[in-house]
Amino acid sequence: MSRFFRNAGDSDSSESSDSEEELLSSDDEAPIAKPAAPAGKMNMDRFLKGADSSSDSDSSDSEDSDDSDGEEGDEEEPQQAIRIMSAQEKRLVEMEATGKVMENALKINDWVAISNEFDKLVRMIQRQHNVSEPIPPFYVRTLISLENSVNNALAKEKEAKKKTNATNAKALTAMKQKIKKSVKEYEVDVNKYNADPEAFEREYTALVVRDAPAPPAPRVTVPGSAGADDDDQNGEFSTVIKGGKSMQFSADGILKNLQAVQEARGKKNTDRAEQIRILEKLLEVAVTSYQRIRVLLALVSSRFDYNSSVATHMPIELWLSAQREVDQLVAIIATNPAYAIQEITEDYDELKERVPEDPEEKDGIVRIRGSIISFVDRLDDEFTKSLQNIDPHGTEYIDRLKDEKVLYCTICRAQAFYENTNQDEPLGRVIMRRLEHIYSKPDAVVQALESTVEASDIKPSMRLASQGTTSGLIHALCVYLYKSGNSLLRTRAMLSHIYHHALHNDFHTARDMLLMSHLQESIHSADVATQILYNRTVVQLGLCAFRCGLIKEAQATLLDIFTTQRVKELLAQGVHQQRFQVLTPEQEKAEKQRQLPFHMHINTELLEAAFLVSSMLVEIPLLASIDSDELKRKAISKPFRRLLDFADRQVFTGPPESTRDHIMQASKALQDGEWEQCRDLIQSIKIWSLMPEAAAVKEMLAKRIQEQGLRTYLFTYAPHYSTLSLSLLSRTFSLPLRAVTSIVSKMIWNEELSASLDQSGGVVVFHRIELSRAQQLAQTIADKVGAMLEQNEKALDIKMGGTGGWGDRADGNKGEKRGEQTQERRGRGERTRGTRGGARGRGARFAQGLGNEMPSRTG
Amino acid sequence: MAEYDLTKRIMPYLDRHLSLPLLVHLSDTNLFAAQDVQIAQYELAKGTNMPDYAANLFSQIYPDQEVPAEFAQKRQNTMLTHQRLQDEAQAVLDVIENPDVAQALRQDKEQNLQYLKDNYNLTLDQIAALYHFGQFQYSYGNYSGAADYLYHFRVLSTDNDLNTSAQWGKLASDILSGKWDAALQELDTLRESIDSRSLPGPALNQLHSRTWLLHWSLFVYFNHPAGRTLLLETFLSPVYLNTIQTSCPWVLRYLAAAAILSRAPPPGATPRVRNALRDIIKVIQMEEYQYQDPVTAFLKELYVEFDFEAAQLQLGRAEQVLGDDFFLGEFSADFLDNARYLISEAYCRTHQKIDIRDLSERLNLSPDEGEKWIVNLIRESRMGADAKIDLDKNVIEIFRPAVPVYQTVIDKTRGLHLRTSGLGQAISRLGMGAQQGQAEAPAAAPAVAVR
Repeated sequence: MSRFFRNAGDSDSSESSDSEEELLSSDDEAPIAKPAAPAGKMNMDRFLKGADSSSDSDSSDSEDSDDSDGEEGDEEEPQQAIRIMSAQEKRLVEMEATGKVMENALKINDWVAISNEFDKLVRMIQRQHNVSEPIPPFYVRTLISLENSVNNALAKEKEAKKKTNATNAKALTAMKQKIKKSVKEYEVDVNKYNADPEAFEREYTALVVRDAPAPPAPRVTVPGSAGADDDDQNGEFSTVIKGGKSMQFSADGILKNLQAVQEARGKKNTDRAEQIRILEKLLEVAVTSYQRIRVLLALVSSRFDYNSSVATHMPIELWLSAQREVDQLVAIIATNPAYAIQEITEDYDELKERVPEDPEEKDGIVRIRGSIISFVDRLDDEFTKSLQNIDPHGTEYIDRLKDEKVLYCTICRAQAFYENTNQDEPLGRVIMRRLEHIYSKPDAVVQALESTVEASDIKPSMRLASQGTTSGLIHALCVYLYKSGNSLLRTRAMLSHIYHHALHNDFHTARDMLLMSHLQESIHSADVATQILYNRTVVQLGLCAFRCGLIKEAQATLLDIFTTQRVKELLAQGVHQQRFQVLTPEQEKAEKQRQLPFHMHINTELLEAAFLVSSMLVEIPLLASIDSDELKRKAISKPFRRLLDFADRQVFTGPPESTRDHIMQASKALQDGEWEQCRDLIQSIKIWSLMPEAAAVKEMLAKRIQEQGLRTYLFTYAPHYSTLSLSLLSRTFSLPLRAVTSIVSKMIWNEELSASLDQSGGVVVFHRIELSRAQQLAQTIADKVGAMLEQNEKALDIKMGGTGGWGDRADGNKGEKRGEQTQERRGRGERTRGTRGGARGRGARFAQGLGNEMPSRTG
Repeated sequence: MAEYDLTKRIMPYLDRHLSLPLLVHLSDTNLFAAQDVQIAQYELAKGTNMPDYAANLFSQIYPDQEVPAEFAQKRQNTMLTHQRLQDEAQAVLDVIENPDVAQALRQDKEQNLQYLKDNYNLTLDQIAALYHFGQFQYSYGNYSGAADYLYHFRVLSTDNDLNTSAQWGKLASDILSGKWDAALQELDTLRESIDSRSLPGPALNQLHSRTWLLHWSLFVYFNHPAGRTLLLETFLSPVYLNTIQTSCPWVLRYLAAAAILSRAPPPGATPRVRNALRDIIKVIQMEEYQYQDPVTAFLKELYVEFDFEAAQLQLGRAEQVLGDDFFLGEFSADFLDNARYLISEAYCRTHQKIDIRDLSERLNLSPDEGEKWIVNLIRESRMGADAKIDLDKNVIEIFRPAVPVYQTVIDKTRGLHLRTSGLGQAISRLGMGAQQGQAEAPAAAPAVAVR
């Protein structure tokens, strides 16, 4: 009410409210103050009309400002304190104001205005309802009188046709409908009122007084020391609200309120913050488990509702409280097995308090509609979303990242809950969520996450402590998902498992799993998120091969993604700028939503360095080995070749700056046989420091560079020597003599180098034949004809459908073999699960038959 | 060398009775404590219907203890069961061995059954008695008897599961009674039925059946005279190679050994056998992380690393391993011979001048022996004309004239004619009306023209 002082600058309105308040205070025993002074009312109306739109927001403000304002007022003039009205009273006053406006409009037959005002009134009543206050008789009275006047108006209109204008007539009919609806809604009250208005009002008064027993007392005993009174007042004031509520929060009061909140949910004018506040209060007073579950369910969902737009993320405080509440919910459900939350239940009475002992409940379990898994999903999604939106280089990001611990804990608790209740479908989903939090993390992080789970009171069966290692834990989680029926989860679990193996440098296992799963064949039809995961997995596999020193494998694995030139986009680590097409905003939004949070990124620069270095090690000796231009066009790694050509064209090369520069200059050094320079250049690339075991990797690279340097050298300079001392080679490339011999022998054996070793002299003897032009051309044409024939065969193969169907050729056999191989590989897919159990379970095949037969015969 | 012993890995894939010879062999090699091996033997025998054998083993292990009474009990039971099963089976056998019946029986099983039922009142259950008796005989060690009964059963029965089981049983019986030809035949039919079978959830079942077959077939292949070539043929077929890679990489040892043993394949061998070494080396490299032993390491050192010293070292160890191996024991000398040959071949191909003494050392031979060996080698091998021994300097010199260019061109284009005509035939077979043929025809034409 003090707000009125502020808002309405003119003394007139303040006067009016003053007088009104005086009235109120004098009339303390019946605080409804129904017979408001007509004059004052008129003023009020005008004022209200002016501040029509603001009234709504004001009233919501009022509660916050009430306290302080009240104090102010007290200090200025203690007398004023008497006039403090509860929020409830204020609403009443507003309602009456609208009533007045309606009356006025009625007089001039302005049905449009009436209709508007009535809407307002209904909304106010609705709010009244939300805080579960009784319906004031004023409303009932208005309803009745309106009904009458509407009927009258309609009757009149019938007599005098076409008298009213169209909008008015329309409003009138609308009004009729609305009134009808409202009357029906409050039928009981209306009837009661019609029967005995006096009694109805008395009843209401009694109710309200009982609701707020405290306020009158201090108001009367105001005269006293201001300070002490002030405190007292405040204390009392807050209890008014609380007391007022708790009075109604008897068992079914809560449920009624809950229903009101739920009905308001999703409507246009619902104040979400307000709803959350109401629910929080409800939670405080909820007594039974049933009530708490219901309130928590509603509360968590309304927290998630808080943000209507998809783009922004949930405020972090809200998220945290939602997370806590989900925890609470799980705790309640877990400790009370008599309650169950299910997505599909039979219909039940929302307003009835239910207990497990009730015979109506099946097997003594109260089933409540709701879904914990969707909460967990949503929590996790919101967490990701917030990470996507926070600047990853700020401290805020790190702070937010710390919340992953609690989130992980919640997920684990949910998992434990589903394990106990044997709900397979949500269990699979929740395990997948858990897996996604740990599969890409190094051991130390997983340990930190798991330690919080260890500390929690509800634990899932699969834990780090029980499994021993992180790999064990991930294995257990994945195996569960493999067994579950959901193929999407199976695919994702498989990919995560492979990723994890790759992360732990277990290249062979990871590769076998990837090949056996046959995901390459079906991944194109998978959803985008899974495709991203697949890309990540493949890339990680490539890095793993690189770390293990398997250069060729690394190069081959990473080649695919680098030829697309859209590495960032494919890994969902950045939006690709397409040159010739512009993304629609929707596409862009979808793209943004897909982005991985920064801490999950695979460093693309490191990736590129690994790829280019392995390409260098594969490509440079190859380049050196071929001498005709014809063959030169065939490149193993196009991206590398392109960069190398570009570097070749440069007139002047400065000292290397970027990673690429380093690698290009190193490649040139390697081509020239300067392996030491090449090694130094490669090792000075800064990005290696991001790779685990960087020192070992550098050492490995140095070794490879030595070997490939030797090969390149031999290829490049062989034409210029007729013999070359092995010991010289060994000194030049500081490799042991044995290694040099081995490399040279290998090259001779594979017919890459036409030479042979002279053991007694310790030299390589080169046998080089210069081909004449004609000979060279003859060879080329033979190759080409062969290639063409092969193309033809392939084309025919495709036309015929199926391999090896039309001729018994050696090549056809090869194709067949491949077919068989893939088929068998498919069988291998089961291996991870099968072999161990199989070895035992299959027992002795023949003996098994024996064992089965014997007892039945003898016994 | 105990760490290279494969008995423990192989046994889970063998039948109880098949494992017995393995254990007997182990007790001969002294790789493990005799006591342990005996206990293992006893544990195995306990589960069979050979109470006498088990009791015998028991008294050997625990000489100071009384033989448990259960053996006597079991013996009693066995005798009874034997009697009963024999009676049942005899009834059927009597009918079948009747010459009239033997003549009346045809290829069609259903019809046979009907015939037997109509004329001799034989039911399926009675025929199953044959199976049970055969099985029982097998379980107390009468393998040839078991083989007979199971054979008869298979001829008559229509029950697929029992038939498969009988097949396995027959194979085991043949193996154990040493009838290698019969076993080989049995092995082939079994392999066919495994490869053609499509059960529900076949992938895994098939994998398991194949793994079993691989292990059982080792008995046959290393005892049958032509076994090694057949082994290469079977094991190198894609499905079995995959099975090896997937579930039993240790079989690679036998594969590698067989490849080395059949270094010079008999004429008419398939390309698969001829190129066996090359394929196996690839697999060995691929599976190195899973399985490694001196035999595979030898091949790897020789053909991947070209480290002759290391290869020689591995050869020495491989010889030992082979000597201790149940299957490969007899082939040890043969293996060594062939391995030497491989080493010297590789050596000669990469070298121009070879010190004879050095080479002999590489081959673990004395210089004199080495010289003899090398002369033989030169005589046998293709390089005959190009290699000369210079006794003055004690070296061999190998002259390898470069392959003339026209030769390579001829090689490259040799197959083209055949392949092109293959293409042509395929297109004409595709039918005149087929539109697709037209697409190929112009494409194929230039290939022909160029030739």
